[in-house]
Amino acid sequence: MAHKVLVIDDEAGFTKLLKMNLEKTGEFEVRIENNSMKALSAAREFRPDVILLDVVMPGLDGGDVAAQFQDDPMLRKVPVIMLTALVSPGETSQDAVAQSGSLTVLPKPVNLDKLTQCLLGAIETAA
Amino acid sequence: MSGSDGSKTQRLPRRSTKTATGRSPSLLPENEAFLEGVIDNLPVAIFAKDASDEFRFVLWNKKQEQITTIPKEKALGRTDLQIFSKESAEYFREVDESVIRRGKLIDVPEEIVDTGAGEVWLHTVKVPIDDKVMERKLVVGISEDITERVRAREQLERLNRNLTEKNKELEVTQLQLIQAEKMESVGRLAAGVAHEVKNPLALLLMGVEYLSTGIDPNDPNIEEILSEMREAINRADKIIRGLVDFSSERQLALEPTELPPLIEQSLLLVRHELTKNGVNVDIEFEKELPKVMVDGAKFEQVLVNLFINAIHAMAKSDRPKLEVLVYSEKLDQVPRDEGARTAHHLRSGDEVVILEVKDNGCGISEANLRKIFDPFFTTKATGLGTGLGLSVVSKIVELHGGAIRIRNRLLGGVTVRIMLKVTKTKEAD
Repeated sequence: MAHKVLVIDDEAGFTKLLKMNLEKTGEFEVRIENNSMKALSAAREFRPDVILLDVVMPGLDGGDVAAQFQDDPMLRKVPVIMLTALVSPGETSQDAVAQSGSLTVLPKPVNLDKLTQCLLGAIETAA
Repeated sequence: MSGSDGSKTQRLPRRSTKTATGRSPSLLPENEAFLEGVIDNLPVAIFAKDASDEFRFVLWNKKQEQITTIPKEKALGRTDLQIFSKESAEYFREVDESVIRRGKLIDVPEEIVDTGAGEVWLHTVKVPIDDKVMERKLVVGISEDITERVRAREQLERLNRNLTEKNKELEVTQLQLIQAEKMESVGRLAAGVAHEVKNPLALLLMGVEYLSTGIDPNDPNIEEILSEMREAINRADKIIRGLVDFSSERQLALEPTELPPLIEQSLLLVRHELTKNGVNVDIEFEKELPKVMVDGAKFEQVLVNLFINAIHAMAKSDRPKLEVLVYSEKLDQVPRDEGARTAHHLRSGDEVVILEVKDNGCGISEANLRKIFDPFFTTKATGLGTGLGLSVVSKIVELHGGAIRIRNRLLGGVTVRIMLKVTKTKEAD
């Protein structure tokens, strides 16, 4: 059975290609949410195995979204991988990392191998 | 002043008795002595030359002795060539002959004469006089020593040149300061710009990954992927080009420009900061705005500065909102109040384009509003701002012949209003 990945990122083009790539491997089923305000409802509905979360987004940023997940008893256990185009690690909101309960921060651009490894690793650890 | 008893002027003639004889007074020896006394003591140099006798000097007063340092005995009966340099003498002769030929006064506002005491500047007036008694034509000259005046003027000119040079240096320094401030902005923008470039790069990498696993000509995704990749390249190119244009160092080059594209480009440079701080942007441009004379890169610097200031001011706002309005109007009043910097080029009745940048941030206290354009004045913590931003902004607006005013809004936040005069070009309409 394919692993369910929820991608929350306002970059529509990027998420579209990311979904194509992940689904082409046959190992993942991907749902995209480009509007961070709708992240929580998307996650509740989709029940992902892992969440890929952008940091800098209009409306709610990655930290806010991660905090919402932490407040949700079901979603709290879902591993979150932060994916960001921010340059220096210091720029990645420490709050966001802490609140997500996940220390995995992937910098953009990321290649498919590394991303897949990261997703599978996170799912395995959580299981 | 001559005393009534004539005691102070010994050679004062007893006019009343002698003139009664009916003879021409000029022939009286007493009168001659009187006139000689007057002529000698006048504070201007007076000389006369006999045009009928090779322009030999027949009159040479004391002031003329002083100025030329040539005593009367050495001058009388001699020609210019015998007492002055050849060059001066030939010039004098030329003027003298011209006076006689034309029979009219000639005014030489400035001439240089070589004397024993060095070069002397003179203002000389020469007149032709018919000496009926002696049956000769005279050239009578009156000279005033204007050496000091000329020297003072030369010094003034020198000082003026120095001042102009210093002014130019100052202008260069100001442009350097503007550039330095801009490079600082570039530094601040760099991280945001990198973020804006990394996103399309991430998309491109995803595209490459997809295509490198083998291309199936029937795969419907491929066309879409290629189109996304193309768009990502354009996007990255646009932002990088924007940053490069922004940082370019050039002399001030004002060109008829439409403001909206410039504003969009500047917003792109701060897009990352806007998104990061959750700022809503509301843009309102009047349709068919007239062009204004603007240096694109420098005006972007103004815009980026204002946007960054607004974003910083709204750090604690609940719903940060940046409004950018551009419209044109006929100016009916030139602003002169606190927080305003007005160039002298704006007049009532001028058609102007007005740019307003509004935020709903913390506003500016009245005390700070007075100092807001002062260099190095900042309320930001050390390291967050040099205090040069608005001082440079007002300088750039001034270089554009425009005006800037910053005011608190009634419901909180600040409105920055920039006025630029509309370009009147032949191409326009």
